[in-house]
Formats: sequence, C-alpha cells, structure tokens
Amino acid sequence: MILVAKTVDSYRFLDGIGRRVIKSWAGLPAQMPIPWTPLARPLSKCTVSLVSSAAIALKTDHPFDPEIERCDPWFADPSYRVLPRTARTGDIQVCHLHINPGFAEQDLNSILPVERLDELREQGEIGAVAPSHYSYMGYTLRPERLLRESVPGMVRQLREEHVDVVVLVPV
Amino acid sequence: MIPELTASAGAPRIAAIEHPFGVTLGRPGDAAGQRAVLRAALRAMEAMEAPGGVVHLPFEWPSTERLNFAPPVAPPIARYLVRHPWALPRFVNRRPPTSGS
Repeated sequence: MILVAKTVDSYRFLDGIGRRVIKSWAGLPAQMPIPWTPLARPLSKCTVSLVSSAAIALKTDHPFDPEIERCDPWFADPSYRVLPRTARTGDIQVCHLHINPGFAEQDLNSILPVERLDELREQGEIGAVAPSHYSYMGYTLRPERLLRESVPGMVRQLREEHVDVVVLVPV
Repeated sequence: MIPELTASAGAPRIAAIEHPFGVTLGRPGDAAGQRAVLRAALRAMEAMEAPGGVVHLPFEWPSTERLNFAPPVAPPIARYLVRHPWALPRFVNRRPPTSGS
C-alpha cells in the first residue's frame, strides 16, 4: 500500500476522447442544489449501506437488460437491484457494459466492499451494516426514469432499514 | 474517481480516489487495501461539515500496474458514434436526442 499526499488526477485512466467527454460533462452546471443532512451521530454508531452504479444483480435475480442500451445507446436499464448484506462474489453478476467486470467477478469487494464493511463493523468503526445494499446502471444520458422509478424505492427501503450513511461507489 | 464529475452532479460529500475504472476500492483479493480505502472514505465523510466537500484520498495506483480495464466489447455508444460521428457533439455536451424512453 502506497500512501501519498495527493490531488487525484481524474483523467489519468481516460484516453483522448474520454477525457474530452468527461471534462465537458464535469463543466456542466448542477441540476439542483447540493442536498445536505448533517451526520446525526458518530460514525461508530451509524448504520451504513452501499450503493453501486455497476449494475450488479444477484444471479438468482433478473439481470439488468443490456438490450435496452444496445437498442438506444443514450439510455440504459433504469431499474435497480437489492443486494442482501450477505451477498458474496459468487452470488452476483455485473451487467455494466462500460467496464471490465472481471475484477468484480473475482472479488466483489473491488467495487462493492460488502465484506470490508462487515470487517469495519467488527472493528467498531461503524455501528451496523444495513440489511440491504443496492445497485443500478450508472451509464445513462437520460436519467429521468432512473430518478422517477428507481430512486424512490431505494430511498424508501433505506429509511425502513434506518440507514444513517450511504456510500455511493462509482465504477 | 472523477471528483469533478461527481461534484457537478451535486454529491454532498466526495472522497476522491485515483483508481482505474472497475476497481474502485482496489485490486481483487487485496482485503487490507480495500479496507483502508473504505475506512478513509468513511472517515472523510464524517469529517466534512459543509455540502460539496471533496477529500482526496492518499492512495497511489502504481503506474507499473498493467491490467486490462477496458470492457470486453466496446459499449453501444462507442459503436454508435463510430457509425454516426456527427452525433459526437451531442454526446460531448450531454444532449441526447429526445425519445419516448
């Protein structure tokens, strides 16, 4: 493990056109004010859930549908999946078309640190792991259906499970 | 991973990490490394007291690391733009064509 004082280079792993696209997107104005909820209790007392944009689904669940994106490359499957806290590498499949899924298929924790979160709970660094984690497809240039159809369900279940902190993990 | 992009989406607290796509927390099997990243991100979250804060995590991905981070097949939008290069400005400016979707 190499630790350095650093400023992250966002574009290090992007090629020419990718850099141009992402720089343009990063310069677009935000669509809404930044939401803010102060932390109500110390992290060591918090219940934590994970949300992944990697389109992860249990093998026993319906996979995300890649044909949606193949038919309309500006859009992708707007649904979401619930992943129990007990989900492990062998239980899941990654349906994201813009990454190499092989790393997560070797070790889910590379993109959704379910076991690492359990370990932090065992070490007393967090209060509890939520019963459920979540995943959706992060690539879409038309997020309206994701926001309208999927986000409310995730929020409702997060509240039902009394989650204090959500770690949104990009890929 | 791309804190400027995440910030433009209005995320309330951002922990930035310089890791390649597909290995956000770290290499497969590197439990200690993954745990360190997650711990650092959570502690950064706890320390931030105002919306829009960005903490740059101190983890370095070695330049000598040679792994294939590309998807097995080019994503649909990449293939579409090869066939329809005039659509590239729409993509760069994130202005998709209207549709019924």
